[in-house]
Amino acid sequence: MKKIYQLLITSFLALLIISPGKIIAQTDTTKKEAATYSPLIEFVSVQKSDNSVDLKTSVKAKINGTLTKLTGLKIEFTIGSDSTAKKLGDAITDSKGVAVFYCKSDQLTTDKEGKLNFKASFAGKDSLESAEEMIAVKRGRLEIIPVKEDSLLTVKVKLVDLSTGTERPVDSTALGVYVKRLFSALKLGEGTTDATGETTVEIPKDLPGDAKGNLTLLARLDENETYGNLEASVVQQWGTPVSDELIELPRALWSSHPPIWMLVTFIILMSTVWGHYLVIIIQLFRLRKEEPKTAL
Amino acid sequence: MQLNSFQQQAFDHQRPVIEKFGRRTWMWTIFFLLWIILGGYALYLQIADGHIVTGMRDNVVWGLYIANFIFFIGISYAGAVISGILHILKVEWRKPIIRIAEMITVIATIIGPVFILLCVGRFDRLHHLILYPRLQSPITWDVLAISTYFTGSVIFLYLALIKDFAIYRDAKLKVPKWRQKVYKALAIGYRGTPSQKRHIKISMNLMAVIIIPLAIIVHSVLSWIFGMTLRPGWHSTIFGPYFVLAAIYSGTGVLIMAMWVYRRMYKLYDYIQDKHFIYLGYIMLVLGAGYGYFTFSEYLTDWFGSEKWDSEVIHKLFSFSEYGWWFLFANVAGILLPIFIVAFPKTRKPGWIALASLFMVAALWVKRYLIIVPTLESPLLPIQDTRLEYVKYSPTWVEWALTLAGIATFFLFFTLMSKFVTIIPISEFEDKEKATEKITKPGSEVIPA
Repeated sequence: MKKIYQLLITSFLALLIISPGKIIAQTDTTKKEAATYSPLIEFVSVQKSDNSVDLKTSVKAKINGTLTKLTGLKIEFTIGSDSTAKKLGDAITDSKGVAVFYCKSDQLTTDKEGKLNFKASFAGKDSLESAEEMIAVKRGRLEIIPVKEDSLLTVKVKLVDLSTGTERPVDSTALGVYVKRLFSALKLGEGTTDATGETTVEIPKDLPGDAKGNLTLLARLDENETYGNLEASVVQQWGTPVSDELIELPRALWSSHPPIWMLVTFIILMSTVWGHYLVIIIQLFRLRKEEPKTAL
Repeated sequence: MQLNSFQQQAFDHQRPVIEKFGRRTWMWTIFFLLWIILGGYALYLQIADGHIVTGMRDNVVWGLYIANFIFFIGISYAGAVISGILHILKVEWRKPIIRIAEMITVIATIIGPVFILLCVGRFDRLHHLILYPRLQSPITWDVLAISTYFTGSVIFLYLALIKDFAIYRDAKLKVPKWRQKVYKALAIGYRGTPSQKRHIKISMNLMAVIIIPLAIIVHSVLSWIFGMTLRPGWHSTIFGPYFVLAAIYSGTGVLIMAMWVYRRMYKLYDYIQDKHFIYLGYIMLVLGAGYGYFTFSEYLTDWFGSEKWDSEVIHKLFSFSEYGWWFLFANVAGILLPIFIVAFPKTRKPGWIALASLFMVAALWVKRYLIIVPTLESPLLPIQDTRLEYVKYSPTWVEWALTLAGIATFFLFFTLMSKFVTIIPISEFEDKEKATEKITKPGSEVIPA
């Protein structure tokens, strides 16, 4: 029996030691898991209507057959081809493995073909291998113009090419129009640009807006082979006002008084229990009083 | 106080234990104190530097401390429910073990809430709970329920001790004078008159009746702190009974372990017999089966529903790269092992049952950890740009040191109490005579039920 005890206790301690470190100690799982693995970088650019560009990377590594997001990695962003590469800046990946760099319009330089050549690179850290990813997109811009005709609400979206230094309309391209919601954008419709580079999309009249009825309308060109991602937005007072003030709730944790039933239940329960205690304490006082005099 | 021959024999056996502290007890006391000092240093760091020294962050705001709190309140059920129910049912075999059960209740109810205090970031606002209580908050219910429960547990233990204090008072024990005075004061003039016996009997019956629903309410309220939120893995209607059952189950396990230790340490084989382990083993088997049923029902419902957030928590519990091993241990050691050990006659022995209890109690501690942490690591609202350490929790040495200090305090209080009162209640045997009592000697066959 003693040997069985020793064996079982040793096994239990061994389990504690070899098990995944969640209960044992403060651990940096990223460091441990990312070791000896090659990071994969997903890289996209979003050209904005103010001519700035958002550069977004998502860094992962395949660990034990599953893609794991890598956090805390420094990603360097550059523009230009290898010989003329110019550093734009750095960004650190967050808990989702995402690093975003906001590139201003005055930082942008194009090559002979009018393309923007971006590179996102990770230099390697500890035993993590280095990695890089490049994208080349033509300069372009989306413009969004709200149009109200009688009771009809529309937005006119225009796509222009900027790669030649002059604005040139782009035709036969499908665009989407969205409205910004709390966590993501809701698609309202799509259209294809005509010879003037324009398309029109109708906006519903009953969309909930903020307290003033403001809506943020977005026009997007997603994952286009030539331009990558383009985005433009406009705020328009076309929504139904939805107040963010809380109306008085029938009950809440922060109410000034608890519900009556709760108060009554509480009083009954507590008085029953403490009443019992009181009876017992009275019994003990009586017990003390009844000590025989001869015993003293 | 006149003792019958059975009482005299039991008292003579335990008299040296409460008269002498002994070298072994000193060594254990120093050992426990060292752990407590380490915990004190950890507490100093936590107060001086703040909760940054713990693994708790914005997302996972509860960790080891709350797991310990639920665990200690759970094992306090040993005295409250087991002792209460056996008293009401007038089960004779309960008498040698109820003192241990009631001691577990009081000590665990002292230590459990301390972990809440360790978890609170603003000690300076603690009195606000009393000054500005909000009755609609489950936290307020918990504070009121636990303080009421603690008061009841102390009264229950004291009532069972009054007659024994009178015995110690009259026995002229070789103990310091201050202890004799304390025994005299605590005996409150009890001389065993019929009227005094009646007062104690009425009080004990009242307490036995009230302590059971009170204990159930306390652990239900504790479960509602989790269940009343809308978080995945917590918002469940069975959480109340699930917590209550798990608490009685772990309380039974700790009681069996304490019985096993004291039986060996003080050679109490004549009093804590094999049958006590077997009877409590049967209780453990039934509770284990019930706990297993609740566990299966809880996770099956969540898994089958496949709600996004519930599924995320279930995935964490079943994934071996996350909490899978611990979840497996919690269920194998916490459900299957005790059932199998008690079910088979070959392993239905005190040593095996105590061993199963040890694993079961450890498994139920892990289970409490698994209730708290994976859920908090699955926030309902998407949180952008948070650091990994805010989402993932792993305890630091400070939390472990304070946890071990809490366990050491539990053992230290137990050690000190067992030197102040007899582990086997002498007065409980006032209706017995040695000649009529069957006693199983160490190593002899077990008396069948």
